[in-house]
Amino acid sequence: MNLALRDVRRHLARFLGTAAGLGLLLTVVIAMQGIYAGMVDDATLLTRAMQADFWVVQRDTRGPFAEASRVDPSLEARAAAVPGVRAARPYTYQLIQRDHRGRVLRIALVGLGWPDDPGTSLPLVQGRRLQQPHGEMIADTSLGIPLGETLTLAGEAYRVVGLTRNALTSGGDSVAFLTVADTQLVALEQPPEALRLERERVLERLRRTDLGRGQPGLEDLAADPRWRAPALASPPHAAVLVQAGPESRAAVREVLAGWGDVTVYTQAEEEALLLGGVVQRARMQIGLFTVILTLTAGVIVTMVIYNLSLEKTHDLAVLKLMGAPSARLLGLVLQQSWLLGALGYAAAWALGEAVFPLFPRRVLLTPTLTWLAPLVTFGVVTVASVLGLRHVLRVDPARALEG
Amino acid sequence: MDAPAVEARRLTKTYGHGSGAVRALDDVSLSLARGTVAALLGPSGSGKSTLVKALGFVSPAEHGEVRFGGRVVVRDGVALADLAALRRRHLGFVFQKANLTTFLDARENVELACELSGKRDGRRRARELLAYLEVSHRERSYPETLSGGEQQRVAIARALANEPSLVLADEPTAALDGARSRVVMELFRRVAHERGAAVLIVTHDHRALDVFDVLYEMEDGQLRPATSPPHPPSRSSP
Ligand SMILES: Nc1ncnc2c1ncn2[C@@H]1O[C@H](COP(=O)(O)OP(=O)(O)OP(=O)(O)O)[C@@H](O)[C@H]1O
Ligand SMILES: [Mg+2]
Repeated sequence: MNLALRDVRRHLARFLGTAAGLGLLLTVVIAMQGIYAGMVDDATLLTRAMQADFWVVQRDTRGPFAEASRVDPSLEARAAAVPGVRAARPYTYQLIQRDHRGRVLRIALVGLGWPDDPGTSLPLVQGRRLQQPHGEMIADTSLGIPLGETLTLAGEAYRVVGLTRNALTSGGDSVAFLTVADTQLVALEQPPEALRLERERVLERLRRTDLGRGQPGLEDLAADPRWRAPALASPPHAAVLVQAGPESRAAVREVLAGWGDVTVYTQAEEEALLLGGVVQRARMQIGLFTVILTLTAGVIVTMVIYNLSLEKTHDLAVLKLMGAPSARLLGLVLQQSWLLGALGYAAAWALGEAVFPLFPRRVLLTPTLTWLAPLVTFGVVTVASVLGLRHVLRVDPARALEG
Repeated sequence: MDAPAVEARRLTKTYGHGSGAVRALDDVSLSLARGTVAALLGPSGSGKSTLVKALGFVSPAEHGEVRFGGRVVVRDGVALADLAALRRRHLGFVFQKANLTTFLDARENVELACELSGKRDGRRRARELLAYLEVSHRERSYPETLSGGEQQRVAIARALANEPSLVLADEPTAALDGARSRVVMELFRRVAHERGAAVLIVTHDHRALDVFDVLYEMEDGQLRPATSPPHPPSRSSP
């Protein structure tokens, strides 16, 4: 005869209520772990999708994600020329915030090294990769821009030709992919007044030089509003991504690391930087919350189980007097704890299935979480039954005789 | 039956220390044969419950020994056998309040006792016992919904579940009116005579003393046989 179930039957409402409460707590714990896992996954998705062996960034920086990095545009060609390098692509990264159809969009613009990389490694859920060097973008679904719609950036129209899912930065911002050239157009965007002032400055300079004075036609050219002042140097990239064959990796790294203007990170190091710098604090915060919530769940289960066994003191004394073995009575308490844990966990899982998709941030239920969460729940409720178990052991059968 | 069901020799038990010490059992010896029903009388605080606890292997006496089925089980407060197992297999208890397990219905209460004693076919036995005690109609009811008399019958059924050789009852009829308490006492007599158990009943109720085979009386921790009712049976019913 199972005593635990029969006792639960008598306190069904309270038991189910507690299980539901425990379920809510567990839902939050699982959600936090899931959000954290989602965050780590998002943070590394961007770097992983680039499929680079090495990230070559500005010397002594931890760029391009954890901090800004600028490398000279010549780096691409220099890297490509290193023996053993299969491909070298420029990479840019910048955060912008624009109004679009009455909404504020925060977009992380990532430059793809067109024509080598039209977004080959991106996990597209809809549409296609880039097919033109200019005017096309691949956007993340989370931006809410449908396929085919155009977005105006720096006065130019960009059509969304492909959609990704879960391409987010570690800060939770949605990513849009353009060619490197396009991202630089956006980066160098200047308002008309700034352009006019710049033209004035060029004219001034021309008039003061022999060249300007000797070639008056140049002045007309510089004053033409369709003309843009040539930049003194092409704008820097954030990084250069290098692919090398497995056999030449060590050699390539050695050569690149020898250059005075750059620092080289492997893919794994770049991911670690990203997690270390940006996600570390979130990890600690979420870890702390998880510990507190797990303890709270433990305390609640402890009190409920302890109360249930306190209420049964007299029943326990009578059962002991009748010679019921202690194991049987301890089993009664333990089984109730486990049942509470199992019900709570089931409730948490069901609730999670229903509400996690509605969360603003992705809740990623990793395989580890899937097996660890029930184990931890089991452990917590087992430990939480200790007070109840101690009470069972302490009940004196003689109490049964005292009415 | 050769050996008595239970035999106590020179039991002594003291509660407390120094000037506040109470000698609850003072050199008590007692032997109960199977098939007899004995009453334990005496004023409040005389040590009746203490004796029941010692004979029931619940709180052993400090000195003296208790034999069960001819074997020494407790000597000078030290258990020489698994007392819980002994209670489970050979003893039945009935208390002042019925003390049924609150989260089990009547039948389950009896069934659990059958199961604990290792008896097979617990449900059938439980039904038989409830029928024997004429409470079959309430077998699916929880204790809190049973009347005092019904609870006490279920409790007796439970006490009989392991076919005990010794049944100990501490004021089992205290919560019942005169007529019902007599019915219960007669049930105990049937249990002793038909089932061959030794039954010891602590009672203050002097109206039903004719039911018993033997009478004992306690006073200040000392036990002595009472051949006739020590006090005249009171005629005034409550
Ligand atoms: N746990 C205890 N601690 C201290 N003293 C106790 C304890 N139990 C009983 N006593 C004392 O031992 C004496 C005998 O108690 P016991 O309960 O055996 O009496 P009783 O004959 O059953 O009385 P009643 O008819 O009132 O139930 C009393 O003086 C009581 O105060
Ligand atoms: Mg008493």
